[in-house]
Amino acid sequence: MYGALDISTSGMVAQRTRLAAISTNIANANTMLRADGGYEPFRRRSVQFAVGDPTSANPAGRELGVHVASIEIDQSPFRKRSAPDSPYKDAGGYVKVPNINTAVEQINALEAARAYEANVVAAETSKTMMGQALRLLA
Amino acid sequence: MMESLSTSGGLAATELMMRFAGGRQRVLAHNIANLSTPGFQPKDVSVEGFRASLRAALDERGGRGGRGALEIDNGEVVASLSPSGVGRMRLEPGTASGNILFHDRNNRDLERSMQSLAENAGMYRVAAELWRKQSGMLKAAISERV
Repeated sequence: MYGALDISTSGMVAQRTRLAAISTNIANANTMLRADGGYEPFRRRSVQFAVGDPTSANPAGRELGVHVASIEIDQSPFRKRSAPDSPYKDAGGYVKVPNINTAVEQINALEAARAYEANVVAAETSKTMMGQALRLLA
Repeated sequence: MMESLSTSGGLAATELMMRFAGGRQRVLAHNIANLSTPGFQPKDVSVEGFRASLRAALDERGGRGGRGALEIDNGEVVASLSPSGVGRMRLEPGTASGNILFHDRNNRDLERSMQSLAENAGMYRVAAELWRKQSGMLKAAISERV
């Protein structure tokens, strides 16, 4: 039963990483330049979950829990916005803007928060059970 | 002699209930951790199956005069006369009852997962309390003080 806390923690960590990716997307919904100033609109990040926890110290625990397998960069095409005065406009007077829909990101953030809360409840239940086992000694 | 003290009466059955509930807690926590994992199907272990095999093992032990340890063998409870009584419980989870399949091929069911979690915690608590009561009676008998 001690593994149950590890499993719930891995779930919390995964959902927190997902929320970090969502926050990145929302913060950069209008970012068009790279860090060094070059023109490159921001591409949406998304996380891929997979079953198992490779960082588990216990070999038997490697198949339980969840971990972030990869952070994918969305390759879908950029949207175009008309900007005749922008220095980055292309031949038709359009600039590419990041393809991020903040409404979608907010709904994903809600779901990540609820999943995090469910994992917290599972961890609390495991802790309560362990507390009861300790009371056997009394 | 300590062996027969700890396996007599209801102590063995409640200890097994606690071990089963502890193992089931891992399966349920695994389901909740994978709420958002694509392609994952929540699993559960059968409580009825465990109860049936526990009942059968107790009946069999009762038929032999109530002696002998209860062991776990491959997820089934068996009654035996061997002195070791340490068995590894291996739970075989099966796929839970069908729910709608979401777009990520995950048929999660948050409500049923939470309910199973609550029931499992309750079962563990009942078993722990029963174990404490019986152990308390044993202590009272040993110390000859009620």
